[in-house]
Amino acid sequence: MAVRPAVEAEGLVRTFGDVRAVDGIDLSVAPGEVFGFLGPNGAGKSTVVRMFTTLLRPTAGTATVGGHDVVSGSGAVRRTIGVALQDAAIDPLMTGNELIRLQSVLHGIPRAVARIRGAELLERVGLTAAAGRRVGTYSGGMRRRLDLAMALVHEPEILFLDEPTTGLDPTSRQALWEEVRRLNTENGTTVFLTTQYLEEADQLADRIAIIDAGKLVREGTPEALKASIGSPTLRIDVQPGSVEAARVALGAFGPDRPAREGRVSIGLEGGAARVADAVRALDGAGVVVEHLELDAPSLDDVFAEATGRRLEGAGDGS
Amino acid sequence: MTAVVASRRVAGGPGGLGHGAAVVVALTRRGMARMVARPALVIPTLVMPLFFIVSFTGAFSSLTRLEGYGASNVYDWMAPYAALQGSVFAGIGGAASAADDIENGFFDRLLLSPGSRLPILLGTAAYSGLRSFIPTTAVLLVSWMGGLSLRGGPLGLVCLYAATVGMAVVFCLLGLTFAYRMRTVRSMMLVQVVGFSSMFMSTGQVPLHFMEGWLRVVAGVNPLTNVLQFARQGFLGPLAWSTTWPGIVALVTMVVVTGMAAGRSLGKIAP
Amino acid sequence: MMAGPGLALAVRQTIELARRSVLTERRQLLNVLPGLVFPLLLAAVYSRQFSRALAMPGFPEVDSFLDFILPACIVQAVSFGATAAGTELALDIENGFFDRLIASPVARFPILLGRLAGASLVAAIKAAILVAVFLAFGAEVKGGPAAVLVIMAVAALLVLAIGGVGQVLAIRTGSQEAVAATFPLVFVGIFMSSAFFPTALMSGWFRVVAENNPITWVIDPTRRLVIAGWSTGDAIQAMAVPAAVTLVTVSLAILALHRKLGRP
Repeated sequence: MAVRPAVEAEGLVRTFGDVRAVDGIDLSVAPGEVFGFLGPNGAGKSTVVRMFTTLLRPTAGTATVGGHDVVSGSGAVRRTIGVALQDAAIDPLMTGNELIRLQSVLHGIPRAVARIRGAELLERVGLTAAAGRRVGTYSGGMRRRLDLAMALVHEPEILFLDEPTTGLDPTSRQALWEEVRRLNTENGTTVFLTTQYLEEADQLADRIAIIDAGKLVREGTPEALKASIGSPTLRIDVQPGSVEAARVALGAFGPDRPAREGRVSIGLEGGAARVADAVRALDGAGVVVEHLELDAPSLDDVFAEATGRRLEGAGDGS
Repeated sequence: MTAVVASRRVAGGPGGLGHGAAVVVALTRRGMARMVARPALVIPTLVMPLFFIVSFTGAFSSLTRLEGYGASNVYDWMAPYAALQGSVFAGIGGAASAADDIENGFFDRLLLSPGSRLPILLGTAAYSGLRSFIPTTAVLLVSWMGGLSLRGGPLGLVCLYAATVGMAVVFCLLGLTFAYRMRTVRSMMLVQVVGFSSMFMSTGQVPLHFMEGWLRVVAGVNPLTNVLQFARQGFLGPLAWSTTWPGIVALVTMVVVTGMAAGRSLGKIAP
Repeated sequence: MMAGPGLALAVRQTIELARRSVLTERRQLLNVLPGLVFPLLLAAVYSRQFSRALAMPGFPEVDSFLDFILPACIVQAVSFGATAAGTELALDIENGFFDRLIASPVARFPILLGRLAGASLVAAIKAAILVAVFLAFGAEVKGGPAAVLVIMAVAALLVLAIGGVGQVLAIRTGSQEAVAATFPLVFVGIFMSSAFFPTALMSGWFRVVAENNPITWVIDPTRRLVIAGWSTGDAIQAMAVPAAVTLVTVSLAILALHRKLGRP
């Protein structure tokens, strides 16, 4: 528990004129964790990332990254982190190779090391063949992958990804997720990821914070957050004659929920761990189970419960 | 060259002097690579000064008949003016590319490099200085066809190039002062107006003693008049210390002042 | 082609669209300002540095360089605004406002004429303002109020002529950038004319270009109205050139629009 957090914020505030874009945020990310920062457009995600990455000075509060204060130790922070910013701003007139080389110089990596590492990274993100081409000819997915490769040139301990897959097609999105997962599991890189996609946060993040209007409204593992909504819904299809028997058998497992003809629905208290018990109870009552599904509360439910609104883009998530 | 060598030696630790020098070189190279990648980027830098040299020498060629004009061939008088004016625009163009980086987010990438951010500013200025070779050389070629004479010898050319590089750097730094604050390419229009007017209100087309009233006062105190004299001397006659040092002092002072202003602006954009 | 009420409607639409372009121009003061400031700066500097040239043989008889440069200043100022009629049309085409106009029951050519008329009106007003500024600084228009009216007419016609070219390009290319790229050509055209110095004092190929430059044909008679005095012949000549060019460019613009809309 004494491990120094990779990223930490206390009472972090940023105002632009009268607008409190970030309004008192406390959070802590453990080393090796993938932290998902989920929120709608304009919630303050990017502002938080810009403060953590020393691009923006906090109005109030403190933030440390890799144990360094983002204001007094900004140089040390920049050495520790890799950043892939929103929209993958890449000079379209430069080639992939040129950009990787420029990035290496910016981070003071010796030329010989830079050449080897650059080639490795381009290989890793599948851009070796395209590396000599101007970035202007790349697809959106290729740009993001190049952006990721550039963020990794100096082997950062902590990686910030600001909406890494916004605007990408599902295949490119999957590919990028794979890469982020691999980085985390193989290299132990801490990942701080902002997203407006529920599925992305759900798929990648060990822990999630939901931000809305500059404030954190929920924080926890995806499972815990969903569990906080309440028990998942267990739906069981049985033969027409045994609906009543099934309902009685399941009565002890949770409250009855509305269901269609030939089906029994309950809120399964204790979640997935209790499914086996429930089935055994049905078995004991002589009910034949034809079909069973356990429908967990989604992050969208969590978001809706926390903010009273549904998240944009929830449709293309779960 | 020394910068590259130094970078190899110290590059291991970002933030050092060698690292800074390497960043300056890399950013200069990037600017050059961009120009090679899209030659159209060079055209404005080239067209404007060529247009100036052609139209000013064409329209005002008869001025040499006036007593005391100081040049027998109008190219001797106008070439340094066109070259300096072109370099001013080349310098602002360098700042505009930085503004473009800011607009499209690429600048954040530069700001994320560890160590001092000063090399980012210096790299842009160095690139602008190099860019000025394009208009200056183009103007010289056209003027040479028009019978430009180099009375002051090769050192006269050195003076011209020193002045044009200096002016490009000054106006790049002035441009960056605004670009870092206003964060738009559009803001460079304002700097262009300043650049054009301040060149225009100096001894670009006629000598100081031809001028009257307010213009004579303004051109007299305008530091660009000193720079013009310094740049022009080699085409009018032998070099003289009295026309050299005021130009150098003016250039150095302007570089220092605009450099400090740009540095302050950079400090604002990058805490 | 167009019945009585139709014509009345077309006129009303033309006026409405002209009003729109005047309003946009007034709102974008920052875009109008360089068009006024730059020529004035040129006039201010040139009148204070070229006075010695007035005594040169070949220079027309004139009281001050300020009088001499007045027409050039106005031509330059209005041509800054002239390309805007083209770039704005291209912008409308780029962002789809043009399609909305086409889809509306607005007659076809008010779309072109409205904008040109607006720009033209603004040019005449600009010319009047500039003359007033010049007079305030001691310039004199020898041809009197009639000459000032001719100057305003010349300004208005020039904008129609140049704007017409811009509109042809806008309709053909549909690109704001392409139209804007022609602006330097106008600028170059003015510099390679008699605008700032008499052609009699030029030499070589530059003189040939300047003497055969239509802008010289406009500037010279206009200038005579300012520095010499009223002459009906000069007044007609000054307006005839831009009027003739206008006739051609506006016809071309209407033709281009018809072609774009798929009608011969």
